[in-house]
Amino acid sequence: MLKPLLENKFIDGRKVKERILNHVSEYVREHTNNAMIGKLVSVTIGDTPEVDVYIRNQKKAAEEVGIRFEICNWNATASQEEVKRNLQNLNDDQEVLGVIIQRPIPKHINIRTLQSAIHPLKDIEGMNPASIGNIVYSDIAMAPCTAAASVELLKETGLTMKGLEVVMIGHSEIVGKPAAFLMMAEGATVTVCHHMTRSVAMHSRRADAVVVAVGKPNFLGPAMIKPGAAVIDIGINQVLGADGKTKIVGDCDTSAVKEVAGWITPVPGGVGPVTVAMLMKNAIGAHQKQQKAGWLTG
Amino acid sequence: MKIIDGKAFSQTLREKIKDHVTVIKESANITPGLAVVLVGEDPASQVYVKNKGIQTKNAGMNSFEHRLEEDVSEKVLLDLIEQLNQDPAVHGILCQLPLPKHLNENLVINSIDPNKDVDGFHISNVGLLNTGQKSMVPCTPLGCLMLLREYVGDLSGKKATVIGRSNIVGKPMFNLLLRENCTVTVVHSKTKNIEEICKSSDILVAAVGRPKFVKGDWVKSGAVIIDVGINRVSITENGIEKSKLVGDVDFEAAKDTAMAITPVPGGVGPMTIACLLANTLVACCRTHNLAEPQELVL
Repeated sequence: MLKPLLENKFIDGRKVKERILNHVSEYVREHTNNAMIGKLVSVTIGDTPEVDVYIRNQKKAAEEVGIRFEICNWNATASQEEVKRNLQNLNDDQEVLGVIIQRPIPKHINIRTLQSAIHPLKDIEGMNPASIGNIVYSDIAMAPCTAAASVELLKETGLTMKGLEVVMIGHSEIVGKPAAFLMMAEGATVTVCHHMTRSVAMHSRRADAVVVAVGKPNFLGPAMIKPGAAVIDIGINQVLGADGKTKIVGDCDTSAVKEVAGWITPVPGGVGPVTVAMLMKNAIGAHQKQQKAGWLTG
Repeated sequence: MKIIDGKAFSQTLREKIKDHVTVIKESANITPGLAVVLVGEDPASQVYVKNKGIQTKNAGMNSFEHRLEEDVSEKVLLDLIEQLNQDPAVHGILCQLPLPKHLNENLVINSIDPNKDVDGFHISNVGLLNTGQKSMVPCTPLGCLMLLREYVGDLSGKKATVIGRSNIVGKPMFNLLLRENCTVTVVHSKTKNIEEICKSSDILVAAVGRPKFVKGDWVKSGAVIIDVGINRVSITENGIEKSKLVGDVDFEAAKDTAMAITPVPGGVGPMTIACLLANTLVACCRTHNLAEPQELVL
């Protein structure tokens, strides 16, 4: 049933990203005249230089599709209540299409409180419990971006999701679990493995597709997959290369797994770029939902 | 092989609830209250609602029944729910499903205050449960989990298979088993080799609504089986045709292979109502900042 691409086993995340962004910019062009498309607001709290690169990528993607992108930095000493009030203001602001809370945030603020404070219709990261609840109930318009990106890449193989046997390795709240629900909504048979699973290999070796998000370099080796299976690598790990420089690798032993797998996503260049694209896709999901809710009339 | 006696277990559970209700009545002068809304004349629903009312009162709680005509308008129903949301004597609200076709079930459920949503179906509760936060947990899966903890003990690392991906049983069950660190597979109508997957499972939870769907030889030796199905079938006994209730598992064929199995009736069924009472009590404790009865929450 599996038909590996012999020529190029890598699923090109950048190509998928461009396709999604093209689709989004088309939507934006079509709607600019009749229903206002507001701006995206990125919020950092305190000094967080480590997220600058992500914000830059998000801003670039937003500019590419024609959505305004505003960068807000709030004071590190702001109380949780103040931050919540600020978010409330963004909820109430008609000009704001969606809100992104960049992490990390200061320790005295509970991230979950903030995630719950964003209105579900502006929650383009898919982090509000109500957004997660929608995913569980198979309303998948605004899913957590990384989980959504991994499913998008899996679909890129052309494999039929209905009845596909997928093993999801990792049961984190922001990736593993929502990805499992997204794939289940598409008709896949999903098994979720994690650190307490007795033999991950026993499960992963029988799967048509393996999605891995454990945060351990070289976790998934060639002996753990069925020949021809699709492998989606969500891991982003910083390791020291042979040349003494740090480099980014995923959770797979990519070069070895590539020899056995039918398809594999590279790291970098796989899930990462598509994640940013899904954020923009969620932005139009938000626009559609807001329009349907009657927010954008007049 | 052990028959898992849900009736006896739920009896013990209801005693514990009753004791705790007595304590908070005496210490805080508060009586937990459950409001049940029934729309229409569906005979099965009427039986359920009647039983819920009786058991609520037996546990020492207040029971409020609201019956609406089959053709009631959505506005009247939503107004009633809003009134119950505001009513300080009501700690739990249950709207008996299914609702007549002209009413939007999702809208109605999501109009219930999440803190009073004792069915645990509101999208916020679904999301909270999914992200490991304090929430209301759907009654049937909660009852199944209590039985599993009792008969299996530590669930961590066990291979569990949930048969059926419904919003009310399959998906929340998947969630709860993941929380217990089981390795979980959800199989459903699109799954290709259900038999093989079931055969490799230490725990089976069947919730498909089809009599004898799970065959005796699908069961791994020593497995624990929770049968959520309630199906009415006709049988001929001594030449007389009668109807009886059966589960989704071929009980006679499976019982000797399994280590433990729930019967139908008398297994999961009585646990569901007991968990509804437990949720009402928990909701009341949370509203009034009283200590939550530990054995009744996750």
